Amino acid sequence: MRTTALEASSLEPSRDATSLSKGVLLRVFLRSLLLQASWNPQGMQNLGLAYALFPALKQLYRDHRDLEEAVRRHLAFFNTHPYVAAAILGGVIFHEQRIARGEEGPQRVQAFKSALMGPLAALGDGFFWLSLKPAVGAFCAALVPVFQILTGQASQGAWAAVVFLVLYNLVHFTFRWRMYRMGLALGDRLVEEVAKANLPKRGARLRAVAAASAGALAAWLAIVFGRNEQAAWAPLLTGGCLAMGAASYWLVARRISRYAVLYLAAGLAAVAGAFL
Amino acid sequence: MVVWSQIVLAGIWGGVLAVERRAFLQAMFSRPLVAATGMGLILHDLPSGLFIGMVLELFHLGSANLGAALPENETLAATGTTAAAVALASHTGGSTPAYWSMAILLFAGLGPAGRIVDHSLEAYCGRLAAKAMASAEHGELARAVRQNVWGMWPHFVVFGAATALCALFGFALAPVAASLPLRALRGLAWSYPAIASVAAAIAVRGSHARRAALYAGVAAAAVVCAVALAPWLSRVTLLGSPRP
Repeated sequence: MRTTALEASSLEPSRDATSLSKGVLLRVFLRSLLLQASWNPQGMQNLGLAYALFPALKQLYRDHRDLEEAVRRHLAFFNTHPYVAAAILGGVIFHEQRIARGEEGPQRVQAFKSALMGPLAALGDGFFWLSLKPAVGAFCAALVPVFQILTGQASQGAWAAVVFLVLYNLVHFTFRWRMYRMGLALGDRLVEEVAKANLPKRGARLRAVAAASAGALAAWLAIVFGRNEQAAWAPLLTGGCLAMGAASYWLVARRISRYAVLYLAAGLAAVAGAFL
Repeated sequence: MVVWSQIVLAGIWGGVLAVERRAFLQAMFSRPLVAATGMGLILHDLPSGLFIGMVLELFHLGSANLGAALPENETLAATGTTAAAVALASHTGGSTPAYWSMAILLFAGLGPAGRIVDHSLEAYCGRLAAKAMASAEHGELARAVRQNVWGMWPHFVVFGAATALCALFGFALAPVAASLPLRALRGLAWSYPAIASVAAAIAVRGSHARRAALYAGVAAAAVVCAVALAPWLSRVTLLGSPRP
């Protein structure tokens, strides 16, 4: 992502009535964290968007009728990925400043939102929900035994949860803030910049990390629990768990309910544990 | 004996995470690994939170809120199950894999149940949106946009109460759990690694990776080889003595 264009962004101190102060821009960003507070089936994130934009609109439109019109156009249907929405929010402010200066009509900001919310939602869903979240989740779950080995204490595995939050949010908040600034600086041109981030390719790598971490953890748990049993039963428990994992993968791939598989496996293991 | 302070704390933590999951931030405090570990820490039973959270993180790894589709509520599943597991072990003085299995099997349905609740709360937010529109029509703009904030409190109240109820249910079941014969407890203890294996298999599917089975298989084989070459690795057990 290029930074040179961002240096000229609207985060500069306000120079005229249609430029927004740093404080207002920061308030909009912070309020955007509540984008989904009133997610509803009709307008989806419409209330959240209007709520986030309100401080900026209030500063841009001194006339109450203009302000009313601006708020109403952002109470229309809106839905996208909550993180990527930061880019659209920045872009909306970019356009609203131009509208307030009389450089373009209000239909431009509507078209901007409509054109971007779908594609950016797909990008955000694919990268954050379907790649980063599973990858960090599985990797950090696999870190639980690693912390225990390193420290020799069971409770130290809790650091895995801390690492989860740090790793995920480092990417999350950096992305969210940069997207917001990019929208503010570039308006419609932000699409080209987002494309340069190459999120789909990075997502594919992260998904591989998730799969490998889950496999490693399954093997580890099977071995450790086998060792906790009496020597005679250890190989049975370890081997049984590994076989059960492979069978579960096969069953879930054939669209058997994962709850049915869970109860079946637990039932079999319980019977084996009770009667062997 | 029911510890009311634990029930209240469980409810508050469950409520806060429900807001974070749906309405504010979405910084993944509500993911099972974090939510359950936090619950364990709050209720002074970290191992229960950690190992229930780890399994549920894997079980719900692939769930995602795509478009208007609602996923299962993994947060309620994690907080409710952990609160119940801690309460279940209250008569015996310590948690074991047997109690973790019992709690997971009893409260696995919280995920789908939470989704139904999420769906019903959307109707409330729909009414807020209509109210905001009406306020905007009357020129009350600040009031209109403020409606957004009112969408949060039902999540806190409803999911907080649900988590507290799970803890209460756990305390109610604790005498039954304590009186289970050793054979049943051993069976339940064996269930935990089986549940973890199933959860890991579901996680591999949920990773959406193109060659998921291959990556998982190679990683599992690498762990098995590592333990075979360096047996001391597996001597560090999950707990001092996980057997009941």
